[in-house]
Amino acid sequence: MTTYRLQVNGKVHAVDNDPDTPLLYVLRNDLALNGAKFGCGLGQCGSCTVLLDGQPAMSCLVPLSVVGTRPVRTVEGLGDARAPGVLQQAFIDEQAAQCGYCIAGMLMQATALLERTPAPTDAQIRAHMSPNLCRCGTHMRILRAVRRAADRLAAGGER
Amino acid sequence: MDRPSRTRRSTWWWLFAAVIALTGIALAVMWRPALAPQTATQAFDTTRIERGANLARLGMCASCHTPDLALPFAGGKPMNTPFGVVHSTNITPDIKTGIGAWSEAAFTRAMREGVARDGHLLYPAFPYNHYVRMTPSDVADLYAYFMTRPAIDAPARANRMTFPFGFRPLVGFWNVLYLDDAPWQPDPAQSAEWNRGAYLADAVAHCAACHTPRTLLGGPDLKRQLGGGDAEDWYAPALNQDSPSPLPWTREQLHDYLRSGIAENHAMAAGPMQAVVTHLAQADDRDVAALAAWTHSHLAKAPARATPAQQAGPLPAPAANDPDLQRMTLGYTTYANACARCHDAGRDASSGTALPLQKAVALYDPDPRDLIHITLDGIAPPAGEPSRFMPGFKTILTDEQTGALAAYLRKYGAGQPAWPELDQAVRTAREP
Repeated sequence: MTTYRLQVNGKVHAVDNDPDTPLLYVLRNDLALNGAKFGCGLGQCGSCTVLLDGQPAMSCLVPLSVVGTRPVRTVEGLGDARAPGVLQQAFIDEQAAQCGYCIAGMLMQATALLERTPAPTDAQIRAHMSPNLCRCGTHMRILRAVRRAADRLAAGGER
Repeated sequence: MDRPSRTRRSTWWWLFAAVIALTGIALAVMWRPALAPQTATQAFDTTRIERGANLARLGMCASCHTPDLALPFAGGKPMNTPFGVVHSTNITPDIKTGIGAWSEAAFTRAMREGVARDGHLLYPAFPYNHYVRMTPSDVADLYAYFMTRPAIDAPARANRMTFPFGFRPLVGFWNVLYLDDAPWQPDPAQSAEWNRGAYLADAVAHCAACHTPRTLLGGPDLKRQLGGGDAEDWYAPALNQDSPSPLPWTREQLHDYLRSGIAENHAMAAGPMQAVVTHLAQADDRDVAALAAWTHSHLAKAPARATPAQQAGPLPAPAANDPDLQRMTLGYTTYANACARCHDAGRDASSGTALPLQKAVALYDPDPRDLIHITLDGIAPPAGEPSRFMPGFKTILTDEQTGALAAYLRKYGAGQPAWPELDQAVRTAREP
């Protein structure tokens, strides 16, 4: 057991855990941030995607020991049911979730895209979202939702 | 009085003659005529088409000419070379943008001399310096195959060459230096299978295009045949006595590897080699076995040596007196926490056939590029192809952690001297 100081969604948390514990387990079990989901545990499905220093990272592959002082952001940082973020609202508008298991990861993957590429082409959205899988098959709605959010931000919407 | 003027006049004559002669030589080197376009469509024998299909797989034509599975052989894939960015061309039988107007004679000239139908010189990114040794019958089979593919309208993409290489006739001088049109000769001392493999490796699969180092002018360095080269910023390992492989290859392992990309508990294809094995998987298995036999005869020249690959088990923590203890400790903890849960066999049910890292050839390469690429980008099969998967750690590990991990694995995984320029290689690999 080692004590790590994790910066998550702007707040610093002290966490006691083993150095090889995946960040996903710490987020869910220690910090009760249950948005990110355990899907495959192998970095193949993307349902655990969070932002690590602004970059999309599959948190099931991130051992606690490598996080250091880099800020972590999860879907809880984007907004909540009363005040959803632009991307969350776009996902609701497009009804992009079916079972919803992949959606937190999709939102974080899309957040990383829109922060670096505010006016992405459809091809850029497609390529960027390709690591994240949806078993219900709502990929087309998800792509439309990301498009909608990008257009709303381009029209001066708040992030 | 008139003597100096006569000397001057004869000097001028000499100069004039020299200019004429040089212009003649330059034209002979740099200029090729256009060949008449063909208009009539042809029918081809099915066996020819099938043989051509097999040769196209063995030659991995699609790995450059098919950038998108939906557009087979439509070209347009960029290739970075030291001389600029070259795009592959459309080799479907489309009349306007492909090779539909090419007669068999024009196709043969392109394969043997690197000249397009209209007479412009092709860049040697297209490995005609290998295809020149293909038998006329094999060239005809390939022609039958490509002329019967669906025609796709896809205009050529403009290359971005560095000055002066945008001037294609210069390739003529490359051809003088490197285009050897002596026919391929079998080695009577070797078996028929070996000779088949040798022919395929040289004239069709063009293995040496990546596995032989290149000279400054981009030609093969013939003094170091199969001595290890470059492919898309990956190191293509030496296949001769300089093979970096920590364990000797058997012929069966090579056959498995070339066929599936995986030699159990020995090696796994990554980087540009994945496209190669994807195509070989669809080729005639006897031909792949012949390639394995030929490759094995060269790899078998590597001397046996003791390496950590012979030992099982997890890698050790750095020695307490290691002069670079802080960095090695960072590398070790990164390995133990991020890599070991799959690579230490048995620690995780899902680890599949992840190699114990002391067996991974990338740790023994003369430079760290392959290890860094695999660490950052993982191993993902080409789109639509089944294969083993390793996730990439590009967004998970910092540059410092990646460099420390590579330095640790090199020393405590492979027992090899440190790579120079390791940190620079990490930064280069990170560039978009």
